Amino acid sequence: MSEALHFAEHRLQETALLIMAGVYAVRLIWLMRFKAGKERQAPTGLPGTTKGKGIIYSWANIFMPWSMESARKHVLMWFQFGIFHMGVTAAIALSVIIPYAPEVLEITLITTIFQVVIVAAFIVGIMRIIRRISIPVLRAISSPDDYFSLILLTVWFFFAAFSVPNRWQEGETFLLTYFWLTAFFLVYVPFSKISHYLYYPFTRYYLGKTMGFRGVFPLRGTRRG
Amino acid sequence: MTNKKRSHQAEVLIEGMAEKLNRQIVGSLVACVHCGNCTRSCHYVLTNPDDPTFAPAYKADRIRKIFKRHFDWTGRVFPWWVGAKSIFTVEELEELKDIVFGKCTNCRRCSINCPMGVDYATFNRMMRGLLVSVGIMPEGVAVVSKDQWEIGNQMGVLPEDYIDTIEWMSEEMQSELDDPTAVIPIDKMDADIVYTINPREVKYDPRTISDAGKIFHLAGENWTMPSEGWDMTNFGLFSGDDALGGAVAGRVYEKAKELRAKKIVISECGHGYRSTRCEGPNWAGMDVEIPMESSVITMLRYVREGRIKVDKTRNTKSYTFHDSCNNARSCGLFEEPRELLNLVVTDFREMYPNRSENYCCTGGGGAMSMSEYTPLRLKSAKIKADQLRETGAEVVVTSCHNCVDGLTDLIKHYKLGMEVTQLVNMESEVNKGSGFNVSIPRRSIALSSNDFK
Repeated sequence: MSEALHFAEHRLQETALLIMAGVYAVRLIWLMRFKAGKERQAPTGLPGTTKGKGIIYSWANIFMPWSMESARKHVLMWFQFGIFHMGVTAAIALSVIIPYAPEVLEITLITTIFQVVIVAAFIVGIMRIIRRISIPVLRAISSPDDYFSLILLTVWFFFAAFSVPNRWQEGETFLLTYFWLTAFFLVYVPFSKISHYLYYPFTRYYLGKTMGFRGVFPLRGTRRG
Repeated sequence: MTNKKRSHQAEVLIEGMAEKLNRQIVGSLVACVHCGNCTRSCHYVLTNPDDPTFAPAYKADRIRKIFKRHFDWTGRVFPWWVGAKSIFTVEELEELKDIVFGKCTNCRRCSINCPMGVDYATFNRMMRGLLVSVGIMPEGVAVVSKDQWEIGNQMGVLPEDYIDTIEWMSEEMQSELDDPTAVIPIDKMDADIVYTINPREVKYDPRTISDAGKIFHLAGENWTMPSEGWDMTNFGLFSGDDALGGAVAGRVYEKAKELRAKKIVISECGHGYRSTRCEGPNWAGMDVEIPMESSVITMLRYVREGRIKVDKTRNTKSYTFHDSCNNARSCGLFEEPRELLNLVVTDFREMYPNRSENYCCTGGGGAMSMSEYTPLRLKSAKIKADQLRETGAEVVVTSCHNCVDGLTDLIKHYKLGMEVTQLVNMESEVNKGSGFNVSIPRRSIALSSNDFK
């Protein structure tokens, strides 16, 4: 393994992670400095609906496509969402597995699973880019960051898919590019829309708390027949 | 950096934003990923599919841009990159007004359909309040808010007119029930229930007051209506003016406390219920000890307890139920009205979608008072009209005065030939003890005294 690849796999990633963690911490402190709204009234809704249940439902409903009309009516989009985020998870995991547990990738089944997931995510990424460019509503709401983040992730998937076998002996280009992209990704994320996963627990927590307290969550409706 | 000079109003709006931001709102402002899932949940988009400016994410971004430019570091450092943009001129503020008041009814349907949990309706309301604070608002909002500040109710009903109407309805009740004890008590101390209403009932639909009075009387309720603090509606919800919201709700709470009432019952009104029951204590900064409930829950309890008897065979028409957004999506009130309705009709047909997923009547969020947006409102009501038509029902029942008006308007516009009524009217009519033989609910329209004879 070249010094460059070793650096990219270790020191570069560690530095990028530290930067990301630092920026994230600042971001969270910034968010928490805003006062949380308070509900003074007595709870409403059916008996058994509570803040706690609302929060849990709110966090979980992304995994329940039947619970939200926007997912229920567009199941294909929901699957795309799932595949894309599984790809992100796999590609992130890869950046840890390669430097610290490379033996895992010697198991053919695991490398196959990783590659299938990441390639599928890459295909979804392409579909998402096309969708974002071709649908007028999405064009209207997209900022340069939206396009760049999506393209960045899709390109990252591409290099991640080729890096899964971790065969640096056969050439380091894909691995080097993947790790440099990962490092850039780590540093860029807190400044971009990709940081949504940092906010996700908070937004859904507060929405779930309010809606649970008011008996709206778990959602009810549209029970035909 | 632009050299554009910022107007004083824009300056005040930005300063005001700093005070209004809380963690929930900031979370919603930073979390949007522009996935577009909200798009398909909005009735404005569904009826204007070729215009991307109706998309909730697009509308939200008009507010988000300002937030990012002034309060979020990414927007301060890289404004172009993340779509951050400040606001300068009065014309820009007017454009923003047309979005937050004219293109959104704050129905919260996009909020429950957002995978990220972005509650657009909440910060749309915040922006309404900020615009109101600099005097930029639809004329109707200004007029109604002024009435509610100055006269104490949103329709400018004078105290003497209110008392006259209550006394008139009291006499009607006595005569209809042929019972001299059937009166509407005013300011009775230590009542179990203080009944608060929508000024629309006084001005255009007083029959709902006597219908409720009959139900209370026949249930043997120890009840009263307050001479002041009787308006449970609250234009603060629509205008985003928390001070108005707190003042109006505070009047209701204070009066009920003064009368030593044990419970505040809120007549059928979606925004009134939400404002008084759910938001009022927060706006007023009061911990209200007196329990509050919707009259739907009160009526249902009477039927369950056998305090009033109903005969559903009197209602032979086909009925459907429209969930008010404020009741269903902001207060979780959707099962009780169905239970009650099923007790008083023989042919109930659910509309789809329903409950928390129901479409807005399209007149919500104060839209009925903003006449400049009426053509757009009615055009956007097509989705609701299709939904109503699909039920095949003859009558649509709702627990909201605002929805009654919104639905009546769209039914007329789309020539659906349906009637609109509220549960209180229906329950009164099927009440065995009431002496009524009327089985067809009358539409909630302006009534003269002759209509009661």
